[in-house]
Amino acid sequence: MRQVAIIGAGMIPFGRRDEDSLLDMLAYASLNALDDAGMGKKGVDAVYVANMGAGILQHQTSVASALVDRLSLIPAAADAVENGPASGASAIKNGVLAVASGYYDYVLVAGGEKMREIVGWKATDFVATMTHPEVEYPYGVTLPGMAGMFTRLYMEKYNLTRDQLIAVAIKNQKMGALNPYAHVEMIITREGIVDDPDSVVNNPMAADPLHLYDMCPVSDGAAAVVLCSLEMAKKISKKPPVLVAGFGQATDTHTLQERDDPTDLKAVTLASNQAFEMAKLTPKDVDFAELHDAFTILEIAESEHAGFFKKGEGGKAVEKGETSLGGKFPINMSGGLKARGHPVGATGVAQVVDVVFQLRHELGKDRQVKGAKTGFTLNFGGFGNNVVAFVLRRAE
Amino acid sequence: MTDELKITAYRCKKCGRIHYPFHDRCLDCLERDFEEIKPEGDAKLLAFTEIYNLPWGFDVRTLKIGVVEFSNHIKAMGQIQIDDFNKLKTGMKLKTFWEPVRVQAGEDVFGLVLR
Ligand SMILES: [Zn+2]
Repeated sequence: MRQVAIIGAGMIPFGRRDEDSLLDMLAYASLNALDDAGMGKKGVDAVYVANMGAGILQHQTSVASALVDRLSLIPAAADAVENGPASGASAIKNGVLAVASGYYDYVLVAGGEKMREIVGWKATDFVATMTHPEVEYPYGVTLPGMAGMFTRLYMEKYNLTRDQLIAVAIKNQKMGALNPYAHVEMIITREGIVDDPDSVVNNPMAADPLHLYDMCPVSDGAAAVVLCSLEMAKKISKKPPVLVAGFGQATDTHTLQERDDPTDLKAVTLASNQAFEMAKLTPKDVDFAELHDAFTILEIAESEHAGFFKKGEGGKAVEKGETSLGGKFPINMSGGLKARGHPVGATGVAQVVDVVFQLRHELGKDRQVKGAKTGFTLNFGGFGNNVVAFVLRRAE
Repeated sequence: MTDELKITAYRCKKCGRIHYPFHDRCLDCLERDFEEIKPEGDAKLLAFTEIYNLPWGFDVRTLKIGVVEFSNHIKAMGQIQIDDFNKLKTGMKLKTFWEPVRVQAGEDVFGLVLR
């Protein structure tokens, strides 16, 4: 297998983008990535498009064929990848395999989602379609609802506190405010969302025990990367190529109730371990991570299940500032899903884009992890029933 | 009361693992022979939440959702109907009913209700 590198990364600001169609967003992000890679008028061999909901939300299918048409990348091979909120990382994994095999030399991976044009309850219902159609969905359970149940169990088992969840929200919104691509650019304080009497109004309960500020927003957005072999990347890339050192993907039962221990996110551990093994590295070798904090609880639980902290220690680490910029293991310096936003099909690609920016040392002092050499991403599908992880390294 | 619940779980004839929902092969031993079983006895609350942002099809302000385990170890999700959410505690026993849980295309959809 060939070693695979990322030579181009691009995205567009996430948020509410009423003026853009899903295809507009995918095209803009793709052009940013192709330009970043210096591809000029050079074509690619294949395009993978990550998207979860165009069939439901836009009444549009075959988005990958539509994107190659928009970009005049014809006759490149084109496939759409739907793996719920982990579609983005799944699509990149497929692109990496295609280049690693030697079959394709240049691959574009784009992820996008347009979710804001529908009303809130429809968006909630759309996301809930990934729950079990017979034994979960009919009851009205939502992904926030699953996260609420999980959070209470985690609190009971590991003494996780609400203060620790709040610390995740405050940290990530602070970083989001510094990220020009982030959906939410508002700094929040403990006073504002907890102590103030108005906090019951501005930070209401959403899925007990989780509050509004424990949730990521519903966003429009797109992100893209360009892949080629490391050998080729070293010859043509003007920017430091980023090596896809390792990846992993694992699944778990569809329902939480069929897991022996519902607080054990086995697929997170398995996917992470696979990625570390392939990279011949351990969690200790990683400088920073972009984790899937669709809910504040997930950042903490994933940081533990991926091996960066012991079980029960991840929450304390956030409170002590260990996961902030300058701490021993910065997490979500992009603002995470919490602030960057969560256009579901785009998220896994955006996480990788943010790690590429970090590894190329392109960010301002207020977000750049000093001397970053190795980063990690975790894209979490369903409620942990399909998880994809990457270990990425700056290639010197 | 549990007789009325239209819940069918599947016990692996080889290793005894209980499945709900159905799987074509046992999660543990991959055998394909199952015995159909029904929930028996009390329902013990394992996990719960109250949801404030509801999807389409619900004519209520919030939904209380829980996962219970019956005496014969079938685990199932249901809607909790209790006035005071704060009275819910992990491990408590709840009574079970098979009643409408939502409306879809103008029709009642029945499911597990916990009180
Ligand atoms: Zn079995």
